[in-house]
Amino acid sequence: MTGPAPTTPAPGKATPPIVLFWREFRRNRFATVALAVTLLLAFVALFAPFIAPQDPYNLQTLSLMDARRPPGHVGSGGYVHILGTDAQGRDLLSAILYGLRISIQISLAAGFIALTIGATVGVLAAYVGGWIESVIMRIVDLQLSFPAILLALVLSALLGQGKAQLVTALVAAQYAYFARTAYGAATAERRKDYVEAALATPLSARRVIFRHLLPNCAPPLIVVATVQIASSISLEATLSFLGLGLPVTEPSLGMLISNGFAYMMSGRYWISVYPGLMLILLIMAINIVGDQIRDQLNPRLRR
Amino acid sequence: MSYMKMTAISGLIALVAGMAGAQTLTIGVRGGPESLDPHYSALGTHAEAAKHIFDTLVWADENLQIAPGLATEWKPVDDDTWEFKLREGVKFHDGSDFTAEDVKFSIARPPIVTGPTTTAIYVRRVKEVEIIDPHTIHIHTDGPAPSLPYDFVRLFVVSHTAAADYSTPETAPEGFNSGKAAIGTGPYKLVSWEPKGDLVLERFDDYWGGPSAWEKVIRKEMPNDSSRLAALKAGQVDLVNDVSSADYLQLKNDASVDTFLGDGIYIMNLLLDQRPDVMPGVRAKDGSALPTNPLTDIRVRQAFDKAIDRETMVEIVLEGLGKPADQGMPPGFFGYSDKVEKPVYDPEGAKALLAEAGFPDGFEIDLYCTSDRLPGDAAICQGLGQMLSVIGMKVNVNATSRTVYFPAQSRGEYSVSMNGWGTLTGEATYTLGGQMHTPDKEKGLGGFNRISYSNAELDKLIETGMVELDEAKRRAILENAMEVAAADKVLIPIVQLQSVWAAKAGTLDFTPRTDGDTLAYPIHPKK
Amino acid sequence: MLAFIVQRALQAILVMAVMSVIVFVGVYAVGNPVDIVIPPDATIAMREEVIRRLGLDLPLWKQYGIFAWNLLHGDFGRSFVYNMPVLELIGGRLPATLELVLISILFATVVGVSLGIYAGVKPDSLLSKLIMGLSILGFSVPSFWVGLILILTFAVSLGILPAGGRGETVTVFGVPWSFLTLNGLSHIVLPALNLALFKLAMMIRLARAGTREAMLSDTVKFARAAGLSEATILRRHVLKLISIPIITVFGLELGSTLAFAVVTETIFSWPGVGKLIIDSITVLDRPVMVAYLVLTAFLFVMINFTVDLVFAAIDPRIRSGRQSA
Repeated sequence: MTGPAPTTPAPGKATPPIVLFWREFRRNRFATVALAVTLLLAFVALFAPFIAPQDPYNLQTLSLMDARRPPGHVGSGGYVHILGTDAQGRDLLSAILYGLRISIQISLAAGFIALTIGATVGVLAAYVGGWIESVIMRIVDLQLSFPAILLALVLSALLGQGKAQLVTALVAAQYAYFARTAYGAATAERRKDYVEAALATPLSARRVIFRHLLPNCAPPLIVVATVQIASSISLEATLSFLGLGLPVTEPSLGMLISNGFAYMMSGRYWISVYPGLMLILLIMAINIVGDQIRDQLNPRLRR
Repeated sequence: MSYMKMTAISGLIALVAGMAGAQTLTIGVRGGPESLDPHYSALGTHAEAAKHIFDTLVWADENLQIAPGLATEWKPVDDDTWEFKLREGVKFHDGSDFTAEDVKFSIARPPIVTGPTTTAIYVRRVKEVEIIDPHTIHIHTDGPAPSLPYDFVRLFVVSHTAAADYSTPETAPEGFNSGKAAIGTGPYKLVSWEPKGDLVLERFDDYWGGPSAWEKVIRKEMPNDSSRLAALKAGQVDLVNDVSSADYLQLKNDASVDTFLGDGIYIMNLLLDQRPDVMPGVRAKDGSALPTNPLTDIRVRQAFDKAIDRETMVEIVLEGLGKPADQGMPPGFFGYSDKVEKPVYDPEGAKALLAEAGFPDGFEIDLYCTSDRLPGDAAICQGLGQMLSVIGMKVNVNATSRTVYFPAQSRGEYSVSMNGWGTLTGEATYTLGGQMHTPDKEKGLGGFNRISYSNAELDKLIETGMVELDEAKRRAILENAMEVAAADKVLIPIVQLQSVWAAKAGTLDFTPRTDGDTLAYPIHPKK
Repeated sequence: MLAFIVQRALQAILVMAVMSVIVFVGVYAVGNPVDIVIPPDATIAMREEVIRRLGLDLPLWKQYGIFAWNLLHGDFGRSFVYNMPVLELIGGRLPATLELVLISILFATVVGVSLGIYAGVKPDSLLSKLIMGLSILGFSVPSFWVGLILILTFAVSLGILPAGGRGETVTVFGVPWSFLTLNGLSHIVLPALNLALFKLAMMIRLARAGTREAMLSDTVKFARAAGLSEATILRRHVLKLISIPIITVFGLELGSTLAFAVVTETIFSWPGVGKLIIDSITVLDRPVMVAYLVLTAFLFVMINFTVDLVFAAIDPRIRSGRQSA
C-alpha cells in the first residue's frame, strides 16, 4: 500500500492536504454521520461523570431495592431510570456511559501502545535490514498468523483480571498488525531511489527515518489504527464475556452485556440489549470512519 | 396386506415408539464426571455421575441422612473397629456376585488411582480390612472413627475381578472409560461417555433395588445456564439442573414448565482474617495504615454481621433462590444447633458498634470473592459491598475467578473475603474441622482455615467430637461447637443457596436432593 | 524451488521449537493448579503426593525436558483433570470443531466472495450499499452477542432450531460427522452461521476491494476493449486477480476461525476443542492448554508453510525475491 508521497505543501498558496482530505471525506454523508457519532460517543465517554445521573461505581449511591427495574422506573434516587437498572441496582444509562468510558479508554490505550511499538519495530526492521529484519519480520508474521483472540485469551488467563493486564494482552495481540503495516510502507519507500541515495550520503539515520520512512507509514497506520481500535473494543467484550477480561465491579460495555446475558431468557432484555446496542453503534461508527479514510488513502480507487 | 393388519402394525409401531420415547430420560446437567473411574475424583459432579453405575456401602438420602446401601447395617465393635454387614444377592453388571472381596478391593484402591481431587480422604482412617465371611467385614481404623459411615457415603464399590487389571494411575482411565472395568452394582450400565459430552446409560434389569423406570438415560453436559434452559424449552432435554436465579421467577410462573426447588449444601460466608498485625486490604479511609487489625475486634465483626440484610440478599440478589443463614451449615445436618442466635439486620446498631470500636466513620476494606464458582457469588459479594457501605465503610469489591481467588486466599493476601462452603458429608466435623480449627498439619485439621483463626475451646470441642462414638453425645458436642464458632463471628454466614431443577410440565416426578445431585433412578415418569 | 522448500521447512521447525518453549514456560507461569484442583480438607501429605504425581516438584527446565522428549515421541502427556492422554482428549473432540469450522468458512467464502464481487462491480447500486452496510455490521457485532440473539430468535422464540449441542452423527472412516444427518444438520446451522458471520463480512470486503482494483486494472481494460462480455471478464480475469488474496485469507482465517470457535462452542454447547480449552484454562489443566497451543501453533506454521509454497508456485518472483508474508 503506497500512499501518495505527501509532498510538503508549498507554504501559503495550495490548500493544505488535510483540508482537501476533509472536503473529500465530507462528500460521503454516511461516513460524516459516523464520524459525528464517534466524536459524540467519545465526548459523552469523556464527560460521563458530568452527564450520567449516577456514579455507578460508588456503592453508597446504589440500592439493591432498585435492582433489575425496567426502563422508565423511578428509583430510590428520585429520578427516572431511562434505560432501567441492572442486577446491582445500577442506573443502566449511567453504567453504559461509564462502561463506554472504560471500553474507549482501554482500546485507545492498547491501540496507542501497540501503534508505538508496532511502528517502531516495523520501521526499524525496514531501516536496519539484514538478518535483524528477517528475524523481526518472521516473528511478526508468525504472530499475525496466530489468532489475536487466542493470544489475548491465553494472556489474560495468565495475567489475571484488571485494566493493565487487559491492555497488555490487547497490545501483545495487536502490535504485529502495526508492525507489518509500517514495515510494508517503509520498505516500499526505502527502495525508492531518493532514499537509497539519502542512505548512501552521510545523512543521519534519524533524518531518513523521520523525514522519509515514518511519514509514509502514517496513512496506512491510521487505517490500521481505526480497525484495531474497533476490534480491540470487540475483543475486550468477548474476553469479558468468557470471564477473563475486567472485574465485574467496574463493568465495561462487554461486561455489562455479559452480566445481562443471564437475564435474557427471563425477558429482562434491557440489561444486555442496551449496552449491546451501544457497543455495536460505537464499533460500527469507528469502522465506517476507518473505511472512508482507507478508501481516500488508496490512490487507485480515486477517480 | 389387509387394512386391519396394517393398522395393527402401525398401531404397534406407534406404541413401541411411544414407549421408547417415554423410557428415555435426557438430562441437561451443568457439570459431569472427570472419568468413569469412581475412585478418580472427589468432586460432587463426579460422584453424581458415578452413582448411576456404582453403589456405595452407605447411602445418603435426599436430606443427606445416612441409610443402608450395599451394607445393610453397621456398628462399632470396639474403639477402633467397625463391623459392616453386606447386602446379599446383589449382582454386578457382568452377572458376578457382590461380596466382601469387592469391598476390600474398593477400599484399597482410591489412594492408588485417585486424581488431584483426592478420594483417598474417604478411606484415610482405614488401617485394615478384615473379611469375616463373604457378607461381613471388620474395618480397623487408626483410632476411634465415628464419622466412618459418613466417609463411606462417597466410597464406591467396584468389581474386584473386572477392575483388577485397571488399578494403576496409567491403566485405570483406559479400563474404565472404555467400559471394560466400569462394572458396578448400580441401577444403570454404561453405554458410552465423552469427557464434557454425553454420558449414555442403559437400565440394569437385575438391580437389587428393582429396575429403573428408564430404559435409557442420557446425561448431557451443558455448562452454560442459558443454553441449558433453552435446550429444555426447545424440547431437547427432559430435565435440567441448576436453573439460575435469574430465570427462576419467570419459570415458576411458566405453565409449560415444572420447577423443583431444593435446599443446597452451600453456605456463603464472609471471612475475616485474624492476624493482629498483618492486614492486607484494610486501611483508614484516608489510605493510612491502621495500628492493629480492626477485624480482630469482636465489635467490628458484630457490626459487619448486623449490617447484612439477609432478607434482601435472598429476595433481591438471589431472586428468592436461597435462605438466610445463621451458621456454617444448613439446618438438619448433624451438629446444626437451634440455639445459635438468629442474626438481625440493624444498620444503626452496627454503626454504634463501629463507633464504640473507635471507627465512627468506618474504615476502608478490599472485599474479595469468587465470581465463577457458585451461582450468585459475584452478585452476593457486590450486595455485601453495598450493605457495608451503608454503615459507613468504604468497600472495594473485587470479584475474581476462582483460579485467582483460592491461591491468593491461601497465601494470606485477603483480609476480607467471601466464598461458599459446602458441607459435603452432611455433618459438622467436616465444616468446623476444615475451616475453623487451628491449622494443624499433623492432625489434618484446619486445612481450609485461611483466616488464621485459633480458638482453643473450639479446637477441643472439634477434637472430642471427632472421636466420640456415642451418637447422642457426639451430636451435643458438635452443636456446642457450632454455637461457639458462630458467636465469634470470624466466619459470618450470609445465605444458604438453593437449587432449582426444571422439567416440562406434568412429565416427571422429581425430589430435589440437598447435595444437588440429579440422579435418574429416583425419577419416575408422571402417570 | 527445492532450496526454497528446505529453507522454509527448516524455518518452520525452528519456529515450532521456539513456540513450544514459549508456550510451556508461559503456561507454567500461571498460578498453581494444585490450589484449585485439591479439595479443602486434603492433608499436607496428600497435597505433596499430588504435586509429586503431577511432576510439579521438578525444576521448570526438567519439566520442559520431559515434556519435549515425550512430545518428540508423539506423547503430549496426560490431562491433570481427566488423567487421559491429552491427544486422545483433543482428538476425540477435533472432528466436531473441524466440521463446524470448515462448514462456516466454506459458507463465508462462497457467499462472501459472490456478494463482494457484486458489490465491487456495481459499487453504486443500492444492493451493493446494503451488502456493504451488512458487512460493516458483521464486522462490528461481537460474535457472542450474535450467538445469543440467534438462540433467542430461532431456538426460544420460534422454536425451529435446537439451541445447542451436536445432533446425531454418522461415522465415516471411523470419525463421527453430524452434517450427514438431518438432525445433525439442524444442530449445526446456528453455530455455523454464528461463526461464519465475521468471516463473511471479511470476505465481502476483501472481494469487493479486490474486484474494484481489478476492474481498474489494465488487464480488464484491455479485455473490455477486446469486446469480451462482462461475465467472461469476471470469470476469467477478475476472479483470477482476486484469488490470491482470497486463498491467503482462506488459509489464514482457517486458523483464526478455529480460535473463534472457542466463543461459538461456549455459547452453543458445541462439544469441540474450543470448549475444552476454555474449561482447561479455568481449571489450569496445563497439559491440555500446552498441547492445544502447541498443536495450534503447529497448524499455523503448516498453513503458513503451505501458503508460502502455493504462492511460490503461483508467482515465481517470490521464490527468488525477498521474504514475503
